[in-house]
Amino acid sequence: GDSWGIFTFLCAALCNLPALPALNCSEELGAGQSIQQTYDLTRYLEHQLRTLAGTYLNYLGPPFNEPDFNPPRLARAERVPSATVDLALWRGLTDNARLAANYRAYSRLLCYLRVLDGQVGTAELRHRLAHFCASLQGLVLSIGGVMSSLGYPLPAGPAGPPAPHGAHAAPNDFLKKMDDFWLLKELQTWLWRSAKDFNRLKKKVPPAVVTLRLEARGF
Amino acid sequence: PLSVSPAADPAVISPQDPTLLIGSSLVATCTVSPDFPLKAEDLYWTLNGRRLPAASYAALGPSTLSVALARLNGSRQQSGDNLVCHSRDGGILAGSCLYVGLPPEKPVNISCWSKNMKDLTCKWAPGTEGETFLHTNYTLKYKRRWYGQDNTCQEYHTAGTYSCHIPEDLALFTPYEIWVEASNRLGVAVSDVVMLDILDVVTTDPPSDVHVSRVGDLEDQLSVRWSSPPALKDFLFQAKYQIQYRVEDSSEWKVVDDVGNQTSCRLAGLRPGTVYFVQVRCNPFSIYGSKKAGIWSDWSNPTAASTPRSERVAGGCDPKGGEQNTTLRRELKQFFGWVKKHAYGCSNLGIKLYDQWRVWLQKSHKTRNQV
Repeated sequence: GDSWGIFTFLCAALCNLPALPALNCSEELGAGQSIQQTYDLTRYLEHQLRTLAGTYLNYLGPPFNEPDFNPPRLARAERVPSATVDLALWRGLTDNARLAANYRAYSRLLCYLRVLDGQVGTAELRHRLAHFCASLQGLVLSIGGVMSSLGYPLPAGPAGPPAPHGAHAAPNDFLKKMDDFWLLKELQTWLWRSAKDFNRLKKKVPPAVVTLRLEARGF
Repeated sequence: PLSVSPAADPAVISPQDPTLLIGSSLVATCTVSPDFPLKAEDLYWTLNGRRLPAASYAALGPSTLSVALARLNGSRQQSGDNLVCHSRDGGILAGSCLYVGLPPEKPVNISCWSKNMKDLTCKWAPGTEGETFLHTNYTLKYKRRWYGQDNTCQEYHTAGTYSCHIPEDLALFTPYEIWVEASNRLGVAVSDVVMLDILDVVTTDPPSDVHVSRVGDLEDQLSVRWSSPPALKDFLFQAKYQIQYRVEDSSEWKVVDDVGNQTSCRLAGLRPGTVYFVQVRCNPFSIYGSKKAGIWSDWSNPTAASTPRSERVAGGCDPKGGEQNTTLRRELKQFFGWVKKHAYGCSNLGIKLYDQWRVWLQKSHKTRNQV
């Protein structure tokens, strides 16, 4: 059901990647469509996350599933990339920087989520997590597609995914629950922020930018 | 606004993440880190979000507060009960996850079935309810009797929580030993070994293409026809069938047992002018000539048909007849309304369509009543 939706998004997004050095108007249309689809995907994930977070926090038990729960954010939790950024800074981001921040954030968040998936939980939870990870993977690919269609290089992948997990693993089960809580919170904030990022990009992608870049390459 | 605490943990709880038996007692201590200006009297405890009574606290030092928990119940969630040490303003200083439950008991009621001899699915029940408070891992193992190697089943939860599916072709005419191991933080338990031959637990798909039709004008009979499940062709077994049928308004099924291996049957002694629901199921027996019965398949999806009602109307003033007429008129009105929506052209209009509508009506009544 849902996986087919993701698949169609992916195909549509990836199929809009221009075959360089083809020089036609469909490129700018392609980027625009990809941005729209990425935006749609973030909204879809936001919706999916609500159910997943609800189930997961209930699994962690009170007080984690209480609506006003706000535990301290320990220094160690900084490894999860934060979506919160100064408003002026956010406004001033170049398209490339904006996309790259999203790409990097979701790549790392995906890594951490996958580790979560491997651990003990109910079968239902593991199933939901696996489904969410698949959708999130789709988002990362979609953002990559947008970046490529606009001629931006993809940011280098997160350095050695498995090692940091071992090094930064929470020293006890309670702290791990707190880490899980903040992971979900950060995911929520990122999806909320991405919607705004892609909305902004939707309005900003001009055809001129694409053509200029291709000319610079000597086509 | 992010409140980032300094690198050191504000406090330490002992014991950290203990595992306990249901009914046991626990004394936990919270010791504030020397970097923090908090005293024992500034602290309080919560368990799963609920504040624990101050009467159970004791100050063991200037910055150490203990809490006594007696006769613990099984954990509220399998991830552990959350025992938290707070500062006076509600801030979290440290936490410990309590795992309270029972060691597993031998899993019981192991039953297995093989679909067309192509696989094996087994299910079982946990030995005690107490082991559900903790995450209990179940592993289904199997091996051919007299041949060394233990194998482990990999695909779990295929037929409910406590089930596992072995997709490979298992050897026939060989007894298998099957057992389930349960383990959790408090211990391990192994079920009794079940011995079976795949050929003894074979089931198959329900019969397909079940058709129920009238027998001419006979008011009390219906004819049921079906096709044998496709897998039957491949295997050297015979099939025997069973039919069950019921009147539309009743939940009582009548079973016809002596159908044998025919693929058709005549139901008799039925009520005229009544809609009946019919299902058929199949049992692969005498596999390779063994004369033993297999396991009954699921019932086929219900098929509906109605017996004819004679056209002759009983003479005389029958008040009940009058009632029936208005009900019938109402029904017909509803029917034609439904037909307008669902029938494409009038060519399909007929008794079969009317019967299908009765089935649909029955189903929608059911769902309405269930809500």
